[in-house]
Amino acid sequence: MTTSIAGIGQTEFSVRSGRSELQLAIEAIKAAVADAGIDIDEIDGLVRYTWDNTTEAAILNALGLPRLTYYGETEFGGVNCCGAIAQACAAIEAGLASCIVFYRALNARSGTRYGRGDRILSEENGQLVNRQMEPPGDVYSAPFGLLVPGQHHALYARAYLDHYGLSDDQCAEMLGSIAVTQRAYANANPRALLRERELTMEQYLAGRIISEPLRLYDYCLETDGAMAIVITSKEKAKSLRSRTVDVLAAQQYVHPGSVPMFLYAEDTHRLVPPEAGEILFRRAGVSAQEIDVAMFYDATSIMVPMALEDFGFVERGGAHDFLTSGGNGPGGRLPINTHGGLLSEGYFHGLNSIAEAVRQLRGESPNQVDCETAFMTLRGASSMILGRA
Amino acid sequence: MNIVRPADELLDQPFWRHLAAGQLHLNACEACGAFRHPPGPCCPKCRHIGEHWAPVSGRATLQSYTTVRHPVHDRLTSAVPYVVTLVRLAEGPRMISGIPPGEHYDLKVGLELECKVISYDARFALPFFVPVAQVQP
Ligand SMILES: [Zn+2]
Repeated sequence: MTTSIAGIGQTEFSVRSGRSELQLAIEAIKAAVADAGIDIDEIDGLVRYTWDNTTEAAILNALGLPRLTYYGETEFGGVNCCGAIAQACAAIEAGLASCIVFYRALNARSGTRYGRGDRILSEENGQLVNRQMEPPGDVYSAPFGLLVPGQHHALYARAYLDHYGLSDDQCAEMLGSIAVTQRAYANANPRALLRERELTMEQYLAGRIISEPLRLYDYCLETDGAMAIVITSKEKAKSLRSRTVDVLAAQQYVHPGSVPMFLYAEDTHRLVPPEAGEILFRRAGVSAQEIDVAMFYDATSIMVPMALEDFGFVERGGAHDFLTSGGNGPGGRLPINTHGGLLSEGYFHGLNSIAEAVRQLRGESPNQVDCETAFMTLRGASSMILGRA
Repeated sequence: MNIVRPADELLDQPFWRHLAAGQLHLNACEACGAFRHPPGPCCPKCRHIGEHWAPVSGRATLQSYTTVRHPVHDRLTSAVPYVVTLVRLAEGPRMISGIPPGEHYDLKVGLELECKVISYDARFALPFFVPVAQVQP
């Protein structure tokens, strides 16, 4: 592509921000613009998730932007973390805007919590009532108690384990190694919510079961805060004083049953057909073996082995051995989620993982990898490859 | 046990009305007969627009399952642990279901299941699935 990520910005990550989502969004956008070294008046485009409570109009008016010539939305949340980048890149390549900000603001701990069923249930006459039309927690699954994304992930995990004949103990070894490795990354990351809390394998195994086979430490963190990412043309990026990162390819790929929550898709042991990765790598002009560092959207830890296999970083069924031998850790063949991931840094529907990929390529990560290329995906529904400029 | 109930206005729809009468019916294509779930206006197989409701065999295989131990709502504290299942019906579609409260089975992906409709009141019943030949009274 002919586009670049020119800046990243964020508020602090917390469990109680004490301010509105709009204010958080504005703070993050100002930080990202300052990071990019552009003037706020240069913003002429915005992209957001439809799930974000803060509209383009609210941003436009609060910041007093002179104009927007493009604003676009992608459906769902983190499913489209790379899809929103793809949309911004497409708009820039089409000449609709020159400087687009992708933002996400949420009080996901002190406000509406994605890990709680309250979001899709009401209490009427002493009963829990559902009238949700789409998963998670739609009317055909909520009555059985399938209410939140974390329970869906337990279904993916069981299907994956069964497909490869992995025992629950092997599952714990594999997922535990992810949780422990990523926590150690977070311990070195001043931004991470859990920077001061260490995690051992013994503590992981002692974590209570949330939804079998997933334990407490297999789950991401509900977080307050905001993040913003500035996307420009590669040409404009060259004129900036900031260290920019090239978007080599960014795409969406959904298939029947795969969205919103991957309930009714044909296979559950994998989350995307091989074609998605083939298209992405071809567009980027690199192979999976040439990727130096990866960010996998780890709403739960099971997403890591599935992404490793879905995109051909390891052979099918090879994730257990790769992860339990430290392949994702410092010095490993493919360091993964070096900010601590959504498990240990915080949860911003993928923007913080994109930001870590940018930091890696700029040489600014707290867990720096020698890298030329970085990969990011949420279960293939959207994915992206970034390269050092 | 506390349970999540579809809103009253939804219980007027065919899926729930048939269950209230004790039977699992699914949305099916008028042209090719293919079943689909959740219901929709168009057949994803032949793209014909037009639907009817028809009974299914109630036979299914287990695709995945989880025992939920952490209640995600204060009113579900006494409902845990409970088992949620992902099943594939003999007719093709996949459904989310569960194991009836109070019943216990050794589950394994691939297990053959049959439907057991459990009624909660005159308007509301749920299609659970249990291992074939192990239906508990
Ligand atoms: Zn048809």
